[in-house]
Amino acid sequence: MSPSMFNFNEAKDKFTAATRNALDNKTSKPFLTIFNQLPGNETEKKTTLDQALRGVLEGEIVKKKNSCDDFLSLIYLSIDGVTEGICSATTPFLLLGDVLDCLPLDQCDKIFTFVEENVSTWKSNSFYSAGKNYLLRMCNDLLRRLSKSQNTVFCGRIQLFLARLFPLSEKSGLNLQSQFNLDNVTVFNKNEQESTLGQKHTEEKEEGMEEGEMGDEDEPAPCSIPIDYNLYRKFWTLQDYFRNPVQCYDKFSWMTFLKYSDETLAVFKSYKLDDTQASKRKLEELRTAGGEHVYFAKFLTSEKLMDLQLSDSSFRRHILLQYLILFQYLKGQVKFKSSSCVLNDDQTLWMEDTTKLVYQLLREIPPDGDKFATMVEHILNTEENWNSWKNEGCPSFVKERPADTKPARPTRKRQAPEDFLGKGPDRKIFMGNDELTRLWNLNHDNMEACKSDNREFMPTLEEFFEEAIEQADPANMVEDEYKVVRNSNYGWRALRLLSRRSPHFFQPTNQQFKSLADYLESMVIKLAKELPKDLPSEEIKTGEEDDDDNGDTLLKESNDSPGIQNKLVSNQQMDEIAAKLGGQWKTLAVQLEMKAVEVREIETDSEDVDMQAKLLLVAWQDREGSQATVENLVSALSAAGFPKIAEILSDT
Amino acid sequence: MGPVELLHMSVFSQSFSPCGRFLAAGNNYGEIAVFSLSSALSPEASEISQKPILTFTAHEGPVFSLLSTDTHLLSAGNGEISAWSWTELTKRNTKAVWTRRPQYKSSLEIPEINAMVINPRENSLAVGGGDNNIHIMDLESGVFKSVLQGHSDYVHCLSIREREGEILSGGEDGTVRIWDYRTGQTVHSIEVYKYEDCARPQYGKWISCLTTDAEWMLCGGGPSLSLWHLRSLSPTSVFPLSGCQRQAAFYQDLILSVGEGQFVSHCLMSGEVKSLIPCTPPSLNTLAINTNSTEHRVLTVGGSSDQIDVFTNLSYRAFSLSF
Repeated sequence: MSPSMFNFNEAKDKFTAATRNALDNKTSKPFLTIFNQLPGNETEKKTTLDQALRGVLEGEIVKKKNSCDDFLSLIYLSIDGVTEGICSATTPFLLLGDVLDCLPLDQCDKIFTFVEENVSTWKSNSFYSAGKNYLLRMCNDLLRRLSKSQNTVFCGRIQLFLARLFPLSEKSGLNLQSQFNLDNVTVFNKNEQESTLGQKHTEEKEEGMEEGEMGDEDEPAPCSIPIDYNLYRKFWTLQDYFRNPVQCYDKFSWMTFLKYSDETLAVFKSYKLDDTQASKRKLEELRTAGGEHVYFAKFLTSEKLMDLQLSDSSFRRHILLQYLILFQYLKGQVKFKSSSCVLNDDQTLWMEDTTKLVYQLLREIPPDGDKFATMVEHILNTEENWNSWKNEGCPSFVKERPADTKPARPTRKRQAPEDFLGKGPDRKIFMGNDELTRLWNLNHDNMEACKSDNREFMPTLEEFFEEAIEQADPANMVEDEYKVVRNSNYGWRALRLLSRRSPHFFQPTNQQFKSLADYLESMVIKLAKELPKDLPSEEIKTGEEDDDDNGDTLLKESNDSPGIQNKLVSNQQMDEIAAKLGGQWKTLAVQLEMKAVEVREIETDSEDVDMQAKLLLVAWQDREGSQATVENLVSALSAAGFPKIAEILSDT
Repeated sequence: MGPVELLHMSVFSQSFSPCGRFLAAGNNYGEIAVFSLSSALSPEASEISQKPILTFTAHEGPVFSLLSTDTHLLSAGNGEISAWSWTELTKRNTKAVWTRRPQYKSSLEIPEINAMVINPRENSLAVGGGDNNIHIMDLESGVFKSVLQGHSDYVHCLSIREREGEILSGGEDGTVRIWDYRTGQTVHSIEVYKYEDCARPQYGKWISCLTTDAEWMLCGGGPSLSLWHLRSLSPTSVFPLSGCQRQAAFYQDLILSVGEGQFVSHCLMSGEVKSLIPCTPPSLNTLAINTNSTEHRVLTVGGSSDQIDVFTNLSYRAFSLSF
């Protein structure tokens, strides 16, 4: 069976009837039943219902009832409808808009109270996205109708509602570009013709004010108090700078601003306000009288009020606070300030001085000047935060839920594939790359691999020195220059090998070798002696003998007395001498022709006198080199007056 | 007037015209300058309106005292008194109506006249000056009726109590004498410096400023400025002002006083100094309040400068007139 056709008009009438029924009976049940009964798909029914509701509202409004309760109940009905899902979400807002457009302001107040009360509903998910633009437009329309000075409270309520409804970072509510309200012009009498004094003529007559001289109707009546026009004009001109701070960056305007500010602040400084009890009483009277506080959106700039304004502490606070706000803007970093808006040093200096003066003046204003000043300072400091927030483009304050707070599911520990770790059947470790795998699998265990024999790269002494030993054999008649030990490369390697393998390397020797080759030759000979006797003994023998002879002769020489003289002073000998010398080493130093510098060095080097003596001898040995013989030292000692020590030396 | 003369100028006396629209000021060069207050206070005032409309030499010596009657301006200088017609002055006519001098004992010295005061009941003028005496002249006839003798040193200042018919005089000798002008006798003589509260021996004992208001009298100078109750002839409050005061006035419920110091002192009857309002001249000699006109009701002060400060609101200096 095909679904019956949806007839718009019929449906609308039914809905209208149902709505009225619901209104009268204060229940939405029949409303719902009708909806469910009617044929047609959801969307069609919804839109029809919307229309119906609006039509009913229109009817109600036209009836010109005094109470808004009917309207409100209708709107409640529509809200219910939305929650039930039979009505589209924008309908309540449309209805509200219609109502507010058609009603006078005093009734709008009541409707708005309803709006305020249901702010939680508007913020709930189903309503918010659909309705926020409507609400914004509705509130703006209302604001436009209201006067800021007459309906201050209502305007405030609307603003507060908007603030509650939208998040802080809602772009439509922000002054992203830090623009100023340039329309806020303060009007004052710049010259006599504009003077409102003449216009006040009739008013004053009525009030019975005392007049000086009454002129004709045509002439403006002179005021009854002397007026300082100079101050008046300069004072109100300042308001223009507060209105548009960008002017301050222009040099000429700045000069004017500076001059006028200085004069005005001088007046404030000179004209101190007293903390009279009378003014406090007046304030209390005002409050208790229950009179409405009137809010002046703009300054009253009549000349006659100048004196009174100057003596009013709230007025002063306003002006001084304006200064502080202006200075904060001029100093601050604002993203949208053009690059030409920079203050130079003089201006900055003036600003700092004036800021101090302003704070001082604020503190002097009774009542509670100090508290007020600290409060102002605090507020301006917090303003900096807002300023930087704006500079960043007003990021949202809502903290994003961090993504990793999802409950961590315990992960199953999966077995690593055995193959991978080399625990598999072929015990091969896969490195992910064929070449690497091959290399790695040469030997799994690194330590073992390092210990293997084919990593032994260092040759044995026999191998390396074989050739050298051969060459050292004098029987081979190898000339010096062809000896392999002369090769510097060979020599270096030889040294390294000796240091790794041969104990001879570490034995101290008194022999002075003129070159590496000579040293190596002697080492080679020593080695040859130790080597296993594979080599033909004769070669070795001759070499050995020679060497031995040499060695023996050397030894012998050292035992012969004439030989002694040529022998270089040994370490041991030096120790003995040092011990014997003790603190008298300085005399020997003179004898040894040590320079004063060196002597001083020795003194600073060590505290111990024995050590110092030793150092002296070492220094002498260094200097003399091959001439540091026993003979020389003995003669030096004798000359220095240490014959006994000389004898001991000679005897050893 | 060259700049040097301007630098050394001192304004000693001031007087407002009977209509209240003009101010006459006398300086140490013997000149009197007439300023138009109405133009200086008007909305389109400029530099020129702060200059005198008329300046003329009135006396050979400094003009220490100026006084206005209903029609005339009386000026005293160099031992003589001159009278000028205000209407003539506003028309820039500087011919004196009359000039008279009191009879001094010796014709050799010419004592200066420091103060003048008018007794409206008897239409007489009392002048006090350097010869230690107060001469009383009848304004109609111009005859010097009587001499009040008693001060041992020159007379600084005079004041009058009309109801009681008393003239008060303060002098260099430190006494404030209350005279009955009919009898010409001293009724009371108060030696202010003898009162411990007021006395400031470091400054001296002279009385340079004297003013009365019904029951009260203000006097000061060497001793501190003090408020006296005339019935009981005792000081009720002493004002802690640092310099020596040269002129004081009662104004509404305040006491305004000028003297040494670059400020106008506002004091309360209780003896406390409410505020010190800074002004241009470094030291002030004269203070005048224009009670003759409501729309030009300003306070003007002058002193050791060629500038006369005008206060539209008592608490700050609005602008300055200059010689």
